[in-house]
Amino acid sequence: MGFGKYVGARVLWAVVVSLIITTITFLLLAAAPNPAIREAATQAALQGGDPAAAVERERELRGLNQPLYVRYMDFIRSVYTLDWGWSESRSQPVIEAMGQALYYTAQYSIPWTVLTITLGPLVGVYSAANMYSWRDHVATGFAFFGYAIPNFFFGIILLLVFGVWFEAVPISYDTSAPVFSLENARQLILPVFVLVTGSIGATMRVSRNESAEFQNSDFMKTAKAKGVSPLRAYAYHVMRPTMVPVSTTLVGQLLALFIGSSLLVEVVFGIPGLGRLTFEALLSQDTNLVLGSTLVFTFVAVVGNLLEDLVFTVLDPRINYDDR
Amino acid sequence: MSRRHTDGNNDGRRLGRRQWLSMLGIGGATALAGCSGNGGDGGDGGDGGTGNGTDGGDGTDGDDGGTDTSTYATAAAASFTTLNPIYNTENGAGNAIARALDQGYTFDAENEYVPLLYDMSTEDGEVWTFEVREGLRFSDPYGEVTASDFVYLIQEIHQGGWASSAATTSWRGVTVEETGEYEFQATLESPSLLWPESYDPLLYPIPQALLEPYVAEEDTEGLRQDEELLELQFSGNLGPYVLDEWQRDGGTQYSRNDDYYLRDADDLPDVFNEAPYFDSAEIRVLGEQASRLGALETGEVDQAAIPPERVQEYRNNDEIYVNQIPQPYNEKISVNMRDNGWTTGPGNMFRHTAFRQAMAAAIDKQSLIDGVFRGFAETHFTWQPRFSEFYPPEEEIPQFGVGDRYGSEFARGLAEDAFEQSEYDYGFDGETMVDPDGNQVQLSIYHSAGQETEQLMGEFIAQELGNNLGIDVSVEAIDGTRFNNEYWTTTEFPTPERNEEGEVTEVPDELVDTVNGEEVEWTSPSATNPGPRNVTANEEWDMEIVFGLNTYPRNPITNNAFFDGATAFYNPVGYYPGFDAQELFDNAQQATSEEELADALVELFANLAEEQPYIMLAFPDSTVGYREGLEGPIENFSNGWNLPAWRYDQ
Repeated sequence: MGFGKYVGARVLWAVVVSLIITTITFLLLAAAPNPAIREAATQAALQGGDPAAAVERERELRGLNQPLYVRYMDFIRSVYTLDWGWSESRSQPVIEAMGQALYYTAQYSIPWTVLTITLGPLVGVYSAANMYSWRDHVATGFAFFGYAIPNFFFGIILLLVFGVWFEAVPISYDTSAPVFSLENARQLILPVFVLVTGSIGATMRVSRNESAEFQNSDFMKTAKAKGVSPLRAYAYHVMRPTMVPVSTTLVGQLLALFIGSSLLVEVVFGIPGLGRLTFEALLSQDTNLVLGSTLVFTFVAVVGNLLEDLVFTVLDPRINYDDR
Repeated sequence: MSRRHTDGNNDGRRLGRRQWLSMLGIGGATALAGCSGNGGDGGDGGDGGTGNGTDGGDGTDGDDGGTDTSTYATAAAASFTTLNPIYNTENGAGNAIARALDQGYTFDAENEYVPLLYDMSTEDGEVWTFEVREGLRFSDPYGEVTASDFVYLIQEIHQGGWASSAATTSWRGVTVEETGEYEFQATLESPSLLWPESYDPLLYPIPQALLEPYVAEEDTEGLRQDEELLELQFSGNLGPYVLDEWQRDGGTQYSRNDDYYLRDADDLPDVFNEAPYFDSAEIRVLGEQASRLGALETGEVDQAAIPPERVQEYRNNDEIYVNQIPQPYNEKISVNMRDNGWTTGPGNMFRHTAFRQAMAAAIDKQSLIDGVFRGFAETHFTWQPRFSEFYPPEEEIPQFGVGDRYGSEFARGLAEDAFEQSEYDYGFDGETMVDPDGNQVQLSIYHSAGQETEQLMGEFIAQELGNNLGIDVSVEAIDGTRFNNEYWTTTEFPTPERNEEGEVTEVPDELVDTVNGEEVEWTSPSATNPGPRNVTANEEWDMEIVFGLNTYPRNPITNNAFFDGATAFYNPVGYYPGFDAQELFDNAQQATSEEELADALVELFANLAEEQPYIMLAFPDSTVGYREGLEGPIENFSNGWNLPAWRYDQ
């Protein structure tokens, strides 16, 4: 199987996985009570009407009296045509809400991700190269500090110090700042820093441990004996094999952090991104919006895993497509 | 005769009598917003209507410790569900709409009616004449605002029966007629001298032509989702600012409206002649309190709510001043008198007035205020704050929880009275209150999860009821929405049969009960009063402090929704008045003079103080921080009525 076919097969599998998850989501939704129905009953009761009749009307209006398979087909069609309905809690189409939230989330999560996957392995390899020295302890200490301190608390402290005391960064997030501007960089530097320190620890530790075994391997000794520069030796002979196992853990870690940490950071720094959107959708029982968030996270996870598989094959030439 | 009206700003919650959402009040709102009891955005003051004025001044560009005086920025704790004026019921969104669109009228610092879009007058309280101000314009292509726009809005939307607008209940039973290009009349079913104070006749201007397509199709969803309404694109010269962008979760941004109609108004103070005084305005949604306070300190926003425990700190800050603003939302304990209340044993002691009095006497109100609210609250004895003109003379209301009417001995005496009235053998075993089996009485009290002030209050109450009445109270945290849906309200209740005209033809037995010796029928059960005490919500509960309620000081008759009898519209706790509350409300409603009105209401509030339908504790003040130099905020319930005239001292 060539690379093209392999990618095609993986993409197809990703579509199947997303369909399975979407189907499960539909079944859960179908089994759960619908807040809109409850709301209709309440309204009817408030206005002296018959709640039971209102429920029936609402069910009819929303097509909930249709057979399950009809509703399922409608649902799948809506999902894949991006017709995700109306968000009651934000008064805008769900797809528009997701688009806006992603726009802001991307502004800090892209630099965060890039820095994490760049700095994590670098610090790990650096630590391993200087194992048990004070440099190793400093790097490890830094990584563990970031990992251990709650992002929420850390964010508030940094905001207090650099925002309120030194007034070096703005306290509130200004949505009107152009994406590529100094103003935007200033307001995003703290959230990115908080997230990077939070996520770098695990990556750094895996890199450190994985690369340790390559430090004294025969091929490193050979490379050193042949006069290869230390930078080149580490880049080619340590970093590359280290990245194979690291890459397998990276996507999962980043996804978990993406969902968990981003919410807290968005709340502290007032960024109207995906984390807050999802959280507030859950609080306000905005079914369409919750569903939209689920689909976006599903998409991110599926694509993330797809990329992970592809990166894996690129990084490790021992893997060929025929085995997969 | 007199004109009156509604409020302007501060608590922009809609005050429609039967709008149960608005009645959940500040507790519920803050629970959902995830902020402390001190409110989210610090309240502009009144809701919709803001007064103002004129042209001129472009925002000054002064510089005050980092403050940007060309922009008036405030911090809000929660984002807005909708800015569609026809459907909004939220205070925060009301403030956001008010930046760009005035409502009909407001009340000034002296509580006097101030006409904005229209003036109201009446001879007898029954027929009210609305005179629409000339020179009001919608954005193109809608043209001038005339009486027909308001009449169409009322008749086709609020009274149309299909749109479920926020003001639907406000206009039920009112006959509206256009009597001129700029004049229309509203005839009430019965006279009401305080109609404007009820907020019921408060209207937003909406272009008739914008509404017509939705009316023709009876398209509720379309009306809710209309972009022109959501983005306030039709606002013309009707607000001090023009809405530039609504960034969901981020807030709203506005630019100065140079054509603002109040600049030409000659019936308002001169300060309005140059309003608004800022080039732009912003409301920033900052969910985290530390962020809101930080933004205020650094001058990124001009206004933010200050939690009571931080007030002194900000009073020591030269760049910020803090206003203490009385407001009408109370802190009280709801005691569940329905069959799913008093979970400790047989009977329900909450149903005995003497027992509720005992509870009120067991809680030291001043200590609660000093300890939990840091002194920024007022004692609460009856269903009005002291600034209400209908507050009864102090000597006419029993003041439980202070002085001689506080303490273990006094409270236990009242509890003993209640035990004698009960058919069950409750009593005291030493310092402990025990049930008929000799076990200590155990109750629980719910507060909103994550609300520190509420949690402290719950713990204080538990301690006081333990020390002074020997009750073992457990303090439970709960999500506000869950409490509302599962404990406070119900949608599953029996309903009466009606004929085609909507008249009740038969009431099921479950909706009939004997109250004070008389048979009472619940002909209009609601989610917040689904029937007699045996009709209950899903979950059992004893006491709650999740919700604070509005006491409607401008128009106390509105409180009939809580107290006009066992069948009151809003009665989740199952309170049956021991006096003829309905008659007193009727007397107030039909009063033809201020004296008659006051007499009826004073008697009503004296009775409520005696009966403690809810155990009344305190009226917390709003404590709001402003940047030094900002002129306009007042320490008064009407704070914000003149928001467009706020400015920085030059």
